[in-house]
Amino acid sequence: MHHTTIDRWSRGRSAIHRLDARAKILSLLIVLIAVGTAPTAGIWRTGAGFGALAVASAGLARLPVLGVFTRSLAVLPFSLTFAVIVYLTGDAVRAFALLIKSYISASFVLLLVGTTPLPHLMRGFERLGFPAMLVLVIQYLYRYLFVISTEAQRMRTAAISRGLQRAGFQVAAGAVATLFARSYHRAEGIHRAMVARGFERHIPILAAERLTPADGLLVLLTLSIAVIIRIGAVR
Amino acid sequence: MSTPVWVALDVASLPAVGYVARRVGSKLEETRVPLLGVMGAFVFAAQMINFPVGAGTSGHLVGGALLSIALGPKAAIVVMTAILFVQALVFQDGGILALGANIMNMAVAGVLAGWLPYQLWGGGRFRSAAIVAAGTLSVLVSASLAVSELLVSGVSMSSSVLGLSFALFLVSALIEGFITLAVVKGIESINPSWIQKPATAAPAVRALTASSVVLAGVGVLFASGAPDGLEHLSEAIGIAGRQYTLLPTPLADYELEGVSSEWLRRAAAGLIGLALMFGLCRLLAKGIVNRRS
Repeated sequence: MHHTTIDRWSRGRSAIHRLDARAKILSLLIVLIAVGTAPTAGIWRTGAGFGALAVASAGLARLPVLGVFTRSLAVLPFSLTFAVIVYLTGDAVRAFALLIKSYISASFVLLLVGTTPLPHLMRGFERLGFPAMLVLVIQYLYRYLFVISTEAQRMRTAAISRGLQRAGFQVAAGAVATLFARSYHRAEGIHRAMVARGFERHIPILAAERLTPADGLLVLLTLSIAVIIRIGAVR
Repeated sequence: MSTPVWVALDVASLPAVGYVARRVGSKLEETRVPLLGVMGAFVFAAQMINFPVGAGTSGHLVGGALLSIALGPKAAIVVMTAILFVQALVFQDGGILALGANIMNMAVAGVLAGWLPYQLWGGGRFRSAAIVAAGTLSVLVSASLAVSELLVSGVSMSSSVLGLSFALFLVSALIEGFITLAVVKGIESINPSWIQKPATAAPAVRALTASSVVLAGVGVLFASGAPDGLEHLSEAIGIAGRQYTLLPTPLADYELEGVSSEWLRRAAAGLIGLALMFGLCRLLAKGIVNRRS
């Protein structure tokens, strides 16, 4: 499944993996701003420049380059809809720019998520000023996402094995309500277990959170490369 | 979407959600923290369950209205934001650049639109209708906002395309309404205490909201079905000539003077407009609360 691959990637070992999450988030932000605000004119060169940067970063992080680029395709169903609307209004270049921008930004997001384990990533967001509450909820969501999904799959298997041919509207509503009930019970259990273990409103991680010169170098390097690509694309 | 639009929405949605999250975080008893996360996971999983809606098609739950009915609006905003965040970050679904717009449309506006009808009429005789309206409005408002953001971005759509997409939105919004009702009924039959009871609102507030919803609906119908008709109407009443002088502010035509970059100017103008609207709404809300107490 998708998530297990990215989880495995994020626990790899490379110079990029060792960097502080905050530096990587800031670098992503720089790239996103540079890509997002790029003018439609010269979008080819902007796209090629940042594409090359993404390939180089993936290589440096020892991630499968092809894997990063095929997985980034997942953004296309969403942006393709908008691109088609823009294309139909007769602005083909703008539609193309929209696709390029969303694809490039998706691959850089994947590079961040693929080189930083989620607990470290969320801690980085928190240290950068994200509301602690939201960070916690996101972590619980991700932790129980596959647990609850598996629960839903099990309910489905059970219903089919009892002879359900095709679920009607009411049956589907009942299934969602039951899933809600089970999720609610699970949340109560989780909370009791957390209290028993002395939970203190944030999930601790076992890593040093110190910024090193390498982190500063990453941000500086990203900033200068982004500026160079943007200047080069205009001419 | 054009640059000023998504930049403005990204910049606006972050503090808005941050504010709500801090409010929730400061008031919330600790039990609810894992609950919100698990509820986000629940919505993810529930979206995989298909609801047959006839004619061989099926729909699925979107969840904004259900969450606001079950958890209250503030918690629901946090959960929906977390869902969109995980979708954009881990599953590359929706795209990171549009995250701010998605949060505004679905997590903030969608949840509030779903909460309003339930809050106003969820306790009385029209409870079922209120829940259907909650689901319908939540999806309809999100979709309409997305379309208007496209329009503001300079994507021109003919009135037939607009009408068609509005009809499609209405159908899927109604489906969400009936799914929300069926699921809420199902949850209540398991444990009624899991669904929040709406606070009792004064009849005057209800009437005011009802009339404003009706007015807005009529306005949308007018604007989508007959954009020329709207112009015609305004000409007939005589406001067409005046509409440009109604707002002789620095925000006229959504541009600010003194800022060099074109898109920066437009984004800043949009943000200031948003802040003004927010301030106005806060003042209005304060006035209403003071009069009631």
